[in-house]
Amino acid sequence: MTSKAFSNLLMRHTLLRYLLTCVCFSIIILAHGQTNHTLSGYIKDKESGETLIGANIHLEEDLANGTVTNTYGFYSITLPRGVHRFVFSYLGYQSFTKEISLDTNTTLNVDLISGIEMQEVVVSAKENQQDENVQSTSMGRVNLPTEQIKVLPALLGEIDILKTIQLLPGVSSAGEGSAGFYVRGGGADQNLVLLDEAVVYNSGHFLGFFSVFNADAIKNTTLIKGGIPASYGGRLSSVLDIQMKEGNNQHFAAEGGIGLISSRLTLEGPIIKEKASFLVSARRTYGFDLAQPLISKTDFAGTNYFFYDLNTKINYQFSQKDRIYLSGYFGRDVLTLAQRERDLQFKLPYGNATATLRWNHLFNDKLFFNLATIYNDYQFRAGFDQDEFHFDVFSGVRDIGVKFDFDYFPSTQHQIKTGFQGTYHRLTPNIVTGSAGETDFVSSAKPKFGNEFALYVQDDWKLNDWLRINLGLRGTLFQQTGPYTSKISGKVYSSGEVVKTYNSLEPRIFINTTLGPNSSLKGGVTATTQYLHLVSNSSSTLPADVWVPSSEIVKPQRGWQYAAGYFQNFQNNGYEASVEAYYKSLHDQIDYRESFVDNSVDQVEDEFVFGKGKAYGLEFFVRKNKGDLNGWIGYTLSRTERTFPDIENGRVFPATYDRTHDLTFVSNYNINPRLTAGLVFIYATGRTFTPLERLYVISGNLQTDYGPRNSQRLEPYHRMDISLTWTPKGSAAKRFKSSWVFSVYNLYNRKNTFFTYTDYNTDLQMGEATIKAYKVSIFPILPSVTWNFKWQ
Amino acid sequence: MKIEFNILSAFFALVIFTSCEKEYTPAKPEGGPKYVVEGYIEAGDNPFPPYIILTKTFDFYGTLNPDQFTGSFVHDADVRVKDGNLEVVFQEICFSDLTPEIRKEVAAQFGFDSDSLAIDYCVYLDVLGQLHPQQDKSYDLTIVTEGHTITATTYIPDQVPLDSLHFEAPPGKPNDTLAQLRCRISDPAGVRNFYRYFGSTNGGPLKTAFSSVTEDLFFDGKSFEFQLFNPVTTDRGVEPNEFGLYIVGDTATIKWCTMDEAHFDFWNTLEFSNSNQGPFSSYTRLQSNIHGGLGIWGGYNVSYYTRKVAY
Repeated sequence: MTSKAFSNLLMRHTLLRYLLTCVCFSIIILAHGQTNHTLSGYIKDKESGETLIGANIHLEEDLANGTVTNTYGFYSITLPRGVHRFVFSYLGYQSFTKEISLDTNTTLNVDLISGIEMQEVVVSAKENQQDENVQSTSMGRVNLPTEQIKVLPALLGEIDILKTIQLLPGVSSAGEGSAGFYVRGGGADQNLVLLDEAVVYNSGHFLGFFSVFNADAIKNTTLIKGGIPASYGGRLSSVLDIQMKEGNNQHFAAEGGIGLISSRLTLEGPIIKEKASFLVSARRTYGFDLAQPLISKTDFAGTNYFFYDLNTKINYQFSQKDRIYLSGYFGRDVLTLAQRERDLQFKLPYGNATATLRWNHLFNDKLFFNLATIYNDYQFRAGFDQDEFHFDVFSGVRDIGVKFDFDYFPSTQHQIKTGFQGTYHRLTPNIVTGSAGETDFVSSAKPKFGNEFALYVQDDWKLNDWLRINLGLRGTLFQQTGPYTSKISGKVYSSGEVVKTYNSLEPRIFINTTLGPNSSLKGGVTATTQYLHLVSNSSSTLPADVWVPSSEIVKPQRGWQYAAGYFQNFQNNGYEASVEAYYKSLHDQIDYRESFVDNSVDQVEDEFVFGKGKAYGLEFFVRKNKGDLNGWIGYTLSRTERTFPDIENGRVFPATYDRTHDLTFVSNYNINPRLTAGLVFIYATGRTFTPLERLYVISGNLQTDYGPRNSQRLEPYHRMDISLTWTPKGSAAKRFKSSWVFSVYNLYNRKNTFFTYTDYNTDLQMGEATIKAYKVSIFPILPSVTWNFKWQ
Repeated sequence: MKIEFNILSAFFALVIFTSCEKEYTPAKPEGGPKYVVEGYIEAGDNPFPPYIILTKTFDFYGTLNPDQFTGSFVHDADVRVKDGNLEVVFQEICFSDLTPEIRKEVAAQFGFDSDSLAIDYCVYLDVLGQLHPQQDKSYDLTIVTEGHTITATTYIPDQVPLDSLHFEAPPGKPNDTLAQLRCRISDPAGVRNFYRYFGSTNGGPLKTAFSSVTEDLFFDGKSFEFQLFNPVTTDRGVEPNEFGLYIVGDTATIKWCTMDEAHFDFWNTLEFSNSNQGPFSSYTRLQSNIHGGLGIWGGYNVSYYTRKVAY
């Protein structure tokens, strides 16, 4: 049935046939046309053997003639026969230059040396580095090496990747202290969050205050907020691509830390030196564990809360051409509430599990192949027990997928990438089961199933010295499949039978016009389609929110983004700056109807309303990469609107996360080799909210009549955080190194409003009522200290 | 989901919110006041006479006084209820119009002391008792006031009585002074049924608990037993360990109602809105069946049960 649907789709779509032809053509030419010679290989960290993502390779005499390593650290550059001087460079590493006589295809693996000590990581020896942000066609793309993230101030000392990306222009936070994020006016579910290519459906612990990504296990984070390449899809707004470390293949190493709320330990080392390595990384909170002696003496004995993460990875290099990786993540939040007096117990475990098995193969010096099988599973469960009453709610998403990608480097003019992805989704809505005495009950909600396929091809094409185009096309197909009983026709579909099919062609076009050696003008168009949706009735997404697939009722979300930007580097790439403008139109957006009550209804889709949205803005970004003082300033001027015919008769209203102004200042200063200071300042226009306007009496109590949706704003949000990282004297020369990180969150104790509520006291006998509206702020000034160590 | 969300929010609020509260005054509405209807029509056992309260909304003030409450009642409106054939004009009666004896009796019905009641309540009533509400019948309400027309329709469904009620020891630690009220119902299969209950103790006024409405989503067509909370002990300020329980030795009365979907939706959204204030909550607009105003015109089919609290 699946192949038949795909055939039908091909018959109907000339463009898709063209896409397939391009893919086939790309594959056919892979083994031909080799007139020049190719230099290829991997670029790695010398100390750990970790491959470096996005490292630069270019000719010393021609900065524009070069390439970068792909996600797996592989590079390939094809040049005319002759002697060339190549420069290999990477942010935070010492550059390496080598003269090579390209008389034949040559393999060269390069080990770069990290040029800095533990606390100095942001300093970059970038003098010789190609200004990739100016030369490339990519827009709205930011790479954040983990070492750069680690030196920034953090809430309660917990290093957080997701909170760091919120400091970039165009990215806003879901709320005070939240790891949730919105990109260029897109919803929280419109961000594709990948961990080693597996989708992470819920990236937050503790109601989103901390992200699930343990920085010790993470090698690299890339945020793509604008020009999403054709190799990515499935979400409208952004891609957050996170790669785990592979594990040190040179020697055994340990790393960890003890903080106020959690501790971490990472072990890594070679299984076979330079051929196979492993990594195991764990993190767990313990605040409530420490309080157990006190809690156990109360009526609430048994109450506890903790979260943990476990990251594991092993890899094995069979030969120069073959390498296999197996990585996994498992994390859980576990809340238990108990009250002995009333025989009451409430359990709430939830979390993600992902697994990725990848095979990297080099067909030849120009053709890199990646095959991945991916599994992910997000589960949310809430159980309530009291006496003979038992109540259990379960929801989740489980994917099983396969994907393959070819990276083809035929010449320095072309870098072609093509691939396929297929995923089988199982999405479980809130299914309620329970019993009351002898009576069992279960809700009629059933899991939904879907197949998602994608085929893409893209070519990063350098037409001449001043014009570069990235042309991409992604064809996608989604099938809602049975078992399912149609709400519309009543038809019963058997397992695997196709209920509804959607497809889409998504062109991606990005153009770079080089204006000079250090400046360029870029423009791009991105079409995206999203088949899975998370609709939240909360001011922020919560673990209990349910993912639903496109179906006979719910159409796919579709979006177009148009962006243009000016990019300029200064002082030998010591400074990079950009101005980007974007306009985004969003179609078939989803929200809950205004009177929605979250009662674990039969089909949550019945509660949806559909509309459209738009977002536009201007982003300014200046980053200083060199010297003891480095960091960035980002500013965004933007507007995000939504319109739903069934909400206030189609009145246009600003989204909850609409921020007119958003300013961030991020800085690190290396005071001396043992002392680094960090500072973060944030200013943003206040969040919108729906005001209460009128009061009235019903059944003797005051009720609220709300005004237009999101028609008022909280006061502006601003905050300053600082940190000081101190490496004790003498530890630098030893294998064991340690450092202390002292952080202060919200330095000047700004009382930013987190939420509002109203309190009524009504005495109708006396004819009196007191009504008070409150703004509540959380997280006052919060100092923290974390001890980190590294043994290698 | 309502349950776990509330527990979850409460837990995390307890844990992290070393919060700081700041009072603020919301902005004044632009559109002026709205009309509010609260009217009920009952069929079944010992039904309460139909009545309609017509008021206007208040702007957001820090305090409301008796004059403001009394001034919110809308007088001299043309209020009519039609049952399909018969149209009855409701007459406005204010508390101050009643004799002291009737005033005392009416006030007690709603839990007030007539001598010190500071508000002059006004309601529209079928003073001649022309309407005889019946189950499986719709009732149309039309109000014309100050050039404004308000309409609503409600339906009184069939009665679904409780099969049984009994008290038993509360779960957890043994406690012989408190009791849990359990009831059993045989829900008719194949149709959506909507229920609401009120409770009182020792002849006091009928009140509703924090969550007084339910539908048969999870027990359609089943014989189902569940707890009925005591509205008196779910009030603010009551000892948490007594929450929802009855005191042994008291006399408990339950008013059990069936109603139509629109009526259920109003109370369901109201109770969800009231309980859904917190760090992550969004607003919930009450789903009203009133066209041209706010509030509810609701039909009930009622049955009453009185039991001594003992087990």
